[in-house]
Amino acid sequence: MSTSKKKAFRIEPFKHKVEIDPKYAERTWKVLDEAICEIYNHNASGLSFEELYRNAYNMVLHKYGDKLYMGLVDTLSRHLKNMASTIEAAQGGLFLEELNRNWLEHNKALQMIRDILMYMDRTYVPNYNKTPVHELGLNLWRDYVVRYPKIKARLLDTLLDLVYRERSGEVINRGLMRNITKMLMDLGIDVYQEDFEKPFLEAASGFYKLESQEFIECCDCGDYLKKAERRLNEEIERVSHYLDPKSETKITAVVEREMIASHMNRLVEMENSGLVHMLIDDRYEDLGRMYSLFKRVSGGLGLVRDVMTSHLRETGRQLVTDPEKLKDPVEFVQRLLDEKDKYDKIITTAFINDKTFQNALNSSFEYFINLNPRSPEFISLFVDDKLRKGLKGVSEEDVETVLDKVMMLFRYLQEKDVFEKYYKQHLAKRLLSSKSVSDDAERSLIVKLKTECGYQFTSKLEGMFTDMKTSKDTMQGFNAVVSNADSSESPTLSVQVLTTGYWPTQSGAVCNLPAEILAVCEKFKTYYLSTHTGRRLTWQTNMGTADLKATFGKGQKHELNVSTYNMCILMFFNNVNSMTYKEIEQATEIPALDLKRSLQSLACVKGKNVLRKEPMSKDISEDDVFVFNDKFTSKFYKVKIGTVAAQKETEPEKQETRQKVEEDRKPQIEAAIVRIMKSRRVLDHNNIVSEVTKQLQSRFLPNPAVIKKRIESLIEREFLERDKNDRKVYRYLA
Amino acid sequence: MRMPGDIIRLNVGGKLFVTSRTTIENAGSDSMLSAMIGENWRRDCSAASITNEFFIDRNPAYFSVLLDLLRTGELHMPAGMSEKALYREALYYGILDHVRSAKWGMLDGNMLQCTNTVRGHATGDATAIRGAQDGGCCVAHGPMVHVYDWSMEAQIALTLDYVNVNDAGFLNPERVVICTCERGDKTGGMALFNVKRGRLEHKYEVCHGGQYKNCTAGALAINDVSLFASCRGRSNEYGIGCWDQVTGKLTHFLYEGPSWPLGVACKLQWLPHSNMLMVAALYPHSDDSFISFLDMRSNNIAWSWTDAEKPAIGDEKVVMDAVAMDECSTVCVVNQFDNLGFIDTRSNNQGVRWRDHYQPGKISEAEEHSYSKLAVWGSQLFCSKNDSVYVFCTPDLDAARCVQTAKLKKSEGGDISDIAVGGERLFVLHNEENVFDVWETPGSFSTANCF
Repeated sequence: MSTSKKKAFRIEPFKHKVEIDPKYAERTWKVLDEAICEIYNHNASGLSFEELYRNAYNMVLHKYGDKLYMGLVDTLSRHLKNMASTIEAAQGGLFLEELNRNWLEHNKALQMIRDILMYMDRTYVPNYNKTPVHELGLNLWRDYVVRYPKIKARLLDTLLDLVYRERSGEVINRGLMRNITKMLMDLGIDVYQEDFEKPFLEAASGFYKLESQEFIECCDCGDYLKKAERRLNEEIERVSHYLDPKSETKITAVVEREMIASHMNRLVEMENSGLVHMLIDDRYEDLGRMYSLFKRVSGGLGLVRDVMTSHLRETGRQLVTDPEKLKDPVEFVQRLLDEKDKYDKIITTAFINDKTFQNALNSSFEYFINLNPRSPEFISLFVDDKLRKGLKGVSEEDVETVLDKVMMLFRYLQEKDVFEKYYKQHLAKRLLSSKSVSDDAERSLIVKLKTECGYQFTSKLEGMFTDMKTSKDTMQGFNAVVSNADSSESPTLSVQVLTTGYWPTQSGAVCNLPAEILAVCEKFKTYYLSTHTGRRLTWQTNMGTADLKATFGKGQKHELNVSTYNMCILMFFNNVNSMTYKEIEQATEIPALDLKRSLQSLACVKGKNVLRKEPMSKDISEDDVFVFNDKFTSKFYKVKIGTVAAQKETEPEKQETRQKVEEDRKPQIEAAIVRIMKSRRVLDHNNIVSEVTKQLQSRFLPNPAVIKKRIESLIEREFLERDKNDRKVYRYLA
Repeated sequence: MRMPGDIIRLNVGGKLFVTSRTTIENAGSDSMLSAMIGENWRRDCSAASITNEFFIDRNPAYFSVLLDLLRTGELHMPAGMSEKALYREALYYGILDHVRSAKWGMLDGNMLQCTNTVRGHATGDATAIRGAQDGGCCVAHGPMVHVYDWSMEAQIALTLDYVNVNDAGFLNPERVVICTCERGDKTGGMALFNVKRGRLEHKYEVCHGGQYKNCTAGALAINDVSLFASCRGRSNEYGIGCWDQVTGKLTHFLYEGPSWPLGVACKLQWLPHSNMLMVAALYPHSDDSFISFLDMRSNNIAWSWTDAEKPAIGDEKVVMDAVAMDECSTVCVVNQFDNLGFIDTRSNNQGVRWRDHYQPGKISEAEEHSYSKLAVWGSQLFCSKNDSVYVFCTPDLDAARCVQTAKLKKSEGGDISDIAVGGERLFVLHNEENVFDVWETPGSFSTANCF
């Protein structure tokens, strides 16, 4: 068959639609193309939306979607190329404005084009996997304008230059900046990041590297921080004005890195203005700034904390070891408290109560307070001072604050049992001499100690208070009996009955009391034992006081307030005029040391010398002779002759207390070992040591060597035994 | 005060309509009507800006119906109006979605009406029907898949080179995924087709160690981000594959264990509530029935049930179809006697609780007996039996206590071979002559909520 013949027999496919004008598509597209031109030329007012929409609709309906779409791409590209060249031609500062103006026009035009081609967007685009009109317009703008090589470089340079100028203090057109960055974001976040954000961050990094170098050379630490803070705030503000909010963390990270992280050590250690300087001068504002800035950098706060801790430990160490400052315990403790107050204030105001800083502060105090083994004694003395006189006339709340502060120092002590020992002594003195200012304050402190250390710690202290109270009742009863039975002039006796064990044990040296006193004492003894059976009374003559009425040579009468020992000595001078030291010692049997002290107070203190010593000298020697001082005068009726009081402990006393404390610790350690072994049955040496330490650390820090000795002692007494196979393991023997 | 620009005068094909700006704006910003009256096209000092009159060169009769739809949210067509033409006009104005959502309401088994019966095009028996998200559907028979859009307009028919179609599903109303048997050459497997253009757009590959494996794709399930299919290949590629919808790449492949078949599974169902995939391998694809829930993130079997190694007593013999009722923690099954049963998924390997009053032995005498099929929608269960669909409602999320509340029957087409739910519609495919029915809840005031 020939081709021509075949043609003759061709069967036409059945068609629903009549063949339309072959130029139809061409013509329709031309109308649309021209309309798009008009839109770009701001001439849209002559256009009919309905007509254009219908034309586009018909093209898609008649399967010319492809032609329509390709035509659109072409036309848009052509217009955008034109726009690119006008933008490029813009001179200097007008460049951005021209870009922005064209962008706004393009957007507006794109909206209208999308309206016309809506039907294509709805049907043709999804079926043929094409990019929708609006997105297409943005992509073309990106490719033909923003990334057009000559514009791309100039755009970036202009933007970076504007930012640089703003950083240098110039005022720039932020609205324009905002529009341009917004355009980049509209084109897709990757366009914004690649074409702007990345170079922007690099430029910022370079800028701040230079600037921080400059600042650090010429500014002190406080000024530098101020500048860094200002820069940081500026950048945050910049982001809020014309950048993507997501850029904030990135740009602040750059500033933090360049201005803080890379100069961190230098700033903190800066001579005459660094962290130590700020701490010494209480520069809360600078410290607060340093805290908030360094907090942004990893390792920043750690550095601040470390420097603060080492400074604190160093000053603390000086404070507690300087022998000059150890002279007055009260001042010593006051200094500690002042130091604590100072740092508390710094941490609350500048470091916004950061827990890690509080911990660092606590551990530092714990470290240096325990450097001085006398700290427990001094703290107790401080309390003693406050309760004797310091708190007179002070409101209840202030008392509480002082006590709370003391408790805070107490918490830092490792040897709490040593404190207890001293506290007991000082409390005993206060109670027996009725020197305490406020019973409430005393009790309040006991309650605090109780909550801190438990019932055991304070049971004896409370016992002391009970003793005082019952003694008062007993004396009332006794006085009633005595005044009824015998009204003759005998000395008035006031007795305080102290329970053995509650009170600090004293060398119970007995002296010979004068006969008058002895008689009254015997009366009391009979009275007391008649009301309380099965008890034994021992006289603690070393702790008493006496009021004597004395008449001197010219008839001047005085009431002398003296210690019991002094009273014993003075009573002799009722009968004789002079006595030698030896005679007095034999007659009274007062221990030599106390006797010497008593005589000193009676004979050597100016204005209170009721005795005369021969020869005259400060110290008492065994050959001295004492004479009643007829010529004694005083402007006061009542004369108090205090024994040369023990303020701080002397060296031997200190040793003694230490020894006592060590002795007391032994049973506590043993008890702890037994408690632990009773529950564990079998345990090795290291574990026992660590458990014992843990159990006892609220009271003191036991020495491992001492624990070892106690274990050995317990093995001897057959509470424990060593394991036969492993010598390091102990067994509990029930 | 009403502004002069708030009254819109529309001259449609010579007939004047006057309406308010807000009514037009109901059409949505991406409609032709809104664009026309919008800011972009507001002209200065022209006649239209004073009179607010717009000319539209369309048929006023259809516009009147559509304007009424915009005003009231209801669709009322005068008798004799062509539905198809109305849809065309709606598409022109950009408000076709409004028409669709006004046509039928939320699926409720107790209120269903059969609104359409479509006669199939193919000669062979149809095997499966699947619903699309917008109410369209596709019917598979042999190597062919016929796709219908929501107006039941036949779209392009896909012919798959004589390989049998096992399952199909819609990724979106324009994209259908088809699972086919594998053949010697590189054909078969699973592929994505464009519904409007009939074009193959993507082939889902099973790839291991850089090597592509050829395999048969069985059942299919689709969730928001992934596609799942049971696969059996030539070189032991047995298991469940998972592909990403965006990239089209295999994200992971769960191989079946020695005693638990997955690759031959004939039903996959995604469970959005428990975030798991139900895989059911049933007779005749495997000798015994195996139903399991897979946790695809940790690649393990979270729950399983089988009737293997259990004495065959009465009803429990063969499970023919299974469907999970996710929120009821129940898998519903049906056996060859059309008897419904329920398995509790809160504990492993429970027995089946069969519904007693569902009498066995009532097998129809017809030679081509179709077994029951199941479909689930919320707490409603659909079960086909012979030529009817029974609707069950479950009280208090307890599927085993469900009650039959409706029976759907159309006389045409004979026994039912498959049912499916999609786009708030129930599709029922009949054995004879490839007829399928579309059941929907009549559109009513419920459609007004889109305004």
